[in-house]
Amino acid sequence: MTQVPLLSMQTIGKSFGGLSVLAQVAFELYGGEVHVLAGENGAGKSTLMKILAGVYSDYEGRVLLDGRESRWASPQQAAARGVAMIHQELSLIPELSVVDNIFLGREHCGALGWLKPQRQRQEARQRLNQLDLDLDLNHPAGEYPLAIQQLIEIAKALAAQARILIMDEPTSALNEPEIQRLFAIIRSLRQQGCGIVFITHKLEEMYQIGDRLTVLRDGRVAAAGRCSDLPPAALLRALVGRDLNQQFPARRFHPGPLRLQVENLSLTDPTNPGRRLLDRVSFGAHSGEILGLAGLQGCGASELLQALFGVYGLAPTGQVRLDGQPLRPYSPRHALAQGMAFLSNDRQAHGLISGLSVVHNITLSALGFYSPGLWLRPRQEWAAALSSAEKLRIQMRSPCQEVQELSGGNQQKVLLARWLETKPKVLLLDEPTRGVDVGAKHDLYELMNQWTAAGITIMLITSELPELLAMADRIMVLHRGQMAGVYARGQATPELVLRAAMGGS
Amino acid sequence: MNIKIITGGAVLLLGLGLGERALAQQRQATPQRYAQASWTIGMSQCNLGEPWRVQMNADIRKAAEEHPELSVVFKDAQNDTLKQRAHIEEFVGAGVDLLIVSPKEAAPLTAPVAAAFQKNIPVIVLDRKVLGEQYTCFIGADNRKIARAAGRWALKTLGGKGRVVELKGLMTSTPGQDRNVGFREGIQGSAMQVIFEADMKWLEPNARREMESALARFAEINLVYAHNDPGAHGAYLAAKAAGREKNMLFVGIDALPHEGQAYVRQGILAASFEYPTGGSEAIATALKILNGQKVAQHLTLPSRVFTRENIDQGGAWLPNE
Amino acid sequence: MNADGHKSAGLSFRLWWTHPGLRALAALLLVVVIGLVFNAEGAFFKWATHRDLLRQVAVFGILACGMTLVIISAGIDLAVGSILGLSAVFFALFSLRWGWSPFLAVPATLLAGALCGAASGGLIARLRLQPFIVTLAMMVFARGLAKWVSGGQKISTAVELADGTYRYGEAPPFIEFLNAKVLADNVAVVTLIFLACGFCCWLLLAKLRWGRYLYAIGGNEEAARLSGVPVGGMKLLAYALSGLFSAVAGICQMAQEIQGDPEAGAGYELSAIAIVVIGGTALMGGRGGIGLTLLGALTIGYLEKILSINAVGEAARLMLTGLIVVSAVIFQHRRK
Repeated sequence: MTQVPLLSMQTIGKSFGGLSVLAQVAFELYGGEVHVLAGENGAGKSTLMKILAGVYSDYEGRVLLDGRESRWASPQQAAARGVAMIHQELSLIPELSVVDNIFLGREHCGALGWLKPQRQRQEARQRLNQLDLDLDLNHPAGEYPLAIQQLIEIAKALAAQARILIMDEPTSALNEPEIQRLFAIIRSLRQQGCGIVFITHKLEEMYQIGDRLTVLRDGRVAAAGRCSDLPPAALLRALVGRDLNQQFPARRFHPGPLRLQVENLSLTDPTNPGRRLLDRVSFGAHSGEILGLAGLQGCGASELLQALFGVYGLAPTGQVRLDGQPLRPYSPRHALAQGMAFLSNDRQAHGLISGLSVVHNITLSALGFYSPGLWLRPRQEWAAALSSAEKLRIQMRSPCQEVQELSGGNQQKVLLARWLETKPKVLLLDEPTRGVDVGAKHDLYELMNQWTAAGITIMLITSELPELLAMADRIMVLHRGQMAGVYARGQATPELVLRAAMGGS
Repeated sequence: MNIKIITGGAVLLLGLGLGERALAQQRQATPQRYAQASWTIGMSQCNLGEPWRVQMNADIRKAAEEHPELSVVFKDAQNDTLKQRAHIEEFVGAGVDLLIVSPKEAAPLTAPVAAAFQKNIPVIVLDRKVLGEQYTCFIGADNRKIARAAGRWALKTLGGKGRVVELKGLMTSTPGQDRNVGFREGIQGSAMQVIFEADMKWLEPNARREMESALARFAEINLVYAHNDPGAHGAYLAAKAAGREKNMLFVGIDALPHEGQAYVRQGILAASFEYPTGGSEAIATALKILNGQKVAQHLTLPSRVFTRENIDQGGAWLPNE
Repeated sequence: MNADGHKSAGLSFRLWWTHPGLRALAALLLVVVIGLVFNAEGAFFKWATHRDLLRQVAVFGILACGMTLVIISAGIDLAVGSILGLSAVFFALFSLRWGWSPFLAVPATLLAGALCGAASGGLIARLRLQPFIVTLAMMVFARGLAKWVSGGQKISTAVELADGTYRYGEAPPFIEFLNAKVLADNVAVVTLIFLACGFCCWLLLAKLRWGRYLYAIGGNEEAARLSGVPVGGMKLLAYALSGLFSAVAGICQMAQEIQGDPEAGAGYELSAIAIVVIGGTALMGGRGGIGLTLLGALTIGYLEKILSINAVGEAARLMLTGLIVVSAVIFQHRRK
């Protein structure tokens, strides 16, 4: 490791409208290391990285690049000095081709702004080879899977001669093999001397990929050091500021009567009639059970939940029975009325209603209870929303606050509260802990335990295997829309589940 | 291949020939019908959105119905110059015996009108002119003259002095300009003054709004001169709402039977000046041309004034200057 | 997020400023101040001026009420002006020509307007077509229907008899009443109708479940669908109500002109949209309210009145309207 750090941020402070977000933060990054930046949502990680990437230029303290003080007026300046940020929400333009995306804003041009496509293609090819990627350069970037798009972003950063790569939760939307591939690329970039800032909420990843680690809490550094010097318990304490006995709460399962019975559920892809999203899936789920669903992307798990919730209307074939009664929902509204509830995996696009307050977001699905005969009864509505906000420990400035202003974990809790207001019999959860910080995750696990104890059936999709193994009473693995195996708690191991998910026996 | 084309052509020719024969037989079978409608007239109207132009078409239709040998085909260009151009060309292509055109704009429609004229189709241009001399006859009224008559009438009725509100049509249109300038000429040199003027875009709701502003600003208004009858009617409604309709006179232009004439009869307007559509004159002129008589190339329509006194006698003709 | 360094003293001001209602009020006050300066020899200080502008703005305001419902659900209704014209023709036909009692003529006209709106809404909800194109088609269709029903002529108290002469009737008392002023001649009846329409919309948006659903659809349609909101039904409702309010506006317009003009309301849809947007309701949907539309209507109304009493020429009037509307919107959105 070199003597002078590639980057050194000293006594950084930043406040918004009198509210201090960062104070006295120090952060160092050497060339050839992966530095994990951890912290709960709202701890100040994003603000710190935005200062580094030149989004904010009015901050206290100093930023040294190669030992020289720098202050960037814009993200473009930061990029010119070799700082590249790969955002959680990818910033590729889906309609543009791969090569156009890689050189967007920095096109190789001749006189009069004529593009030099040959040179761009050559260099793009070279950068993609560096990442072991073989793509059609003229293909629209948006048509590649998310994991590939992320790698295109990295290629874009490399083409910009980036030496500092900031990756904001790059694994949140990836499955296990994709994550391993990304890690291999990160390791090779590290060898080439890049400094990488890696932001993640997942503990095991921190130890897997990180060399050093800085934990932020409430805008201050709560812990910093080599990963090997910081055991998980200490890390958790630093993250949350209180002791979490374990990452997952203990789970007790007392199976109730059979709640949901699915036989030969099949679904054809509405956009591609030749393909089956679900192929003769049969299973049962009991009251009080958490039935975990595992599989690679495109395995049909999300589609299974959506089919049960009536998103595809009457297109799915097969038999579904809820408490012995046939269930054939023609719309989400219809499914809802029969006791189903569905938390989508994309809370921005399919969950939160921007413009509505926290209270109104919570009560939306159960509005019928609070407006018999159409007239709203605000007092009842507020009382119910506030009590469930309290039960779910939703942190907010005011109940009238717009839901968009909450942190990710609290937004997720708002959506869960919305569904609990409908008093569901079956709760379909698609990635409930995605983009949620550790403290809030723990809350969610405890809530799931409470709900199942009250007799609710939960079907849970999560791409975090430890979470699935710890929370699910049974794990059902899907592969290309077909059942690939069912494992009871204790019986399931990561190897078994992964092999089934990949189509092995 | 060749044989196919030849056979196909033969079948086609045969079909045409049979059709032609059938048509000829039909003609023989109903000779009187064809003798009746021996002349077809194409009428290209620029826009039927205005009641005045609806009235023009109605006048033409009514006049033509008295002559069974005429059949008139109407087309409405919906205020679109290019559409009107296409309509004129369609009429020429269909081989009408005479063309009546009430053009939307002069310059762009000059060429198609001239093309028809050169193909020996007589063309009567109604209301608005085209450029040059390449048409048979122009029939229209003189806005400026009518407006001047309105000014003189106002001068006489108010006794040479008074405060006037002028509600203008659209000052970017020729009729609006002429009706403005003519009225000013009519009251020139007198003690009458225009104290408030505003564009109301020929629309009644706008006229009412502008009149309300005038009423708010001026305690004494003697006469309201509006460039069309709906404008005058809107001004009347505003004054009535303010309880001041008895203190002033309302004068409008156009005098359509169900608008201006009706308002005069109901006592709303003191006077309405006719802007004739020229519909019946156009049919009369068309008959002359078709029968081979010579007509003047320029025909200025006479105009009437309707007041409370003369409305039951059918108005009074304006004197020729 | 506000990125600049206002200290705590500025905090209360910012909270004040971020409230959309207060920003709309500020834009209105800006226009009123212009009126106080250019008062046209004191005409601006007479109550009659304000009473008249409240009357003039009523028709546009009623259209804007329906438009608000549609825009909050992230739609747009371009057909309001044409439905106004159609309703004016229908109402004139029913009450002037056929002499129906208002108890029959009014509901029949309202039904016609609501049916036109429901037709657009049905296509938008059922076939998931773009509101812009569907209501554009309805705009053209309704205008054509109005011309066809009326034969292209204004339907007034004058009736052409078989021999070509005219019979002139009196307007029915109900129409006289709509065109009148009440409360010691201080408020026009149509102004009160506008306020009543606004009140109904407020009830719907703030007090009924349906209102919440409209906001939810505008905020995030897909999320609303997944949350069990009857998206299709609510869209149908929004456009049907927009058609209904257009019919109310048509009745008011007809009563003020004492004739049914098939050309009435041409271009009014743009004024209605302008009123909604100047009030501060987001064109993207999900945010806004009827109170804002009320303020927007007053802003536009005062602007037109001030230009009118000062007898500003048409060319200058158009340019000034453009400039002032843009400044009002900038003024409102300065802090977002």
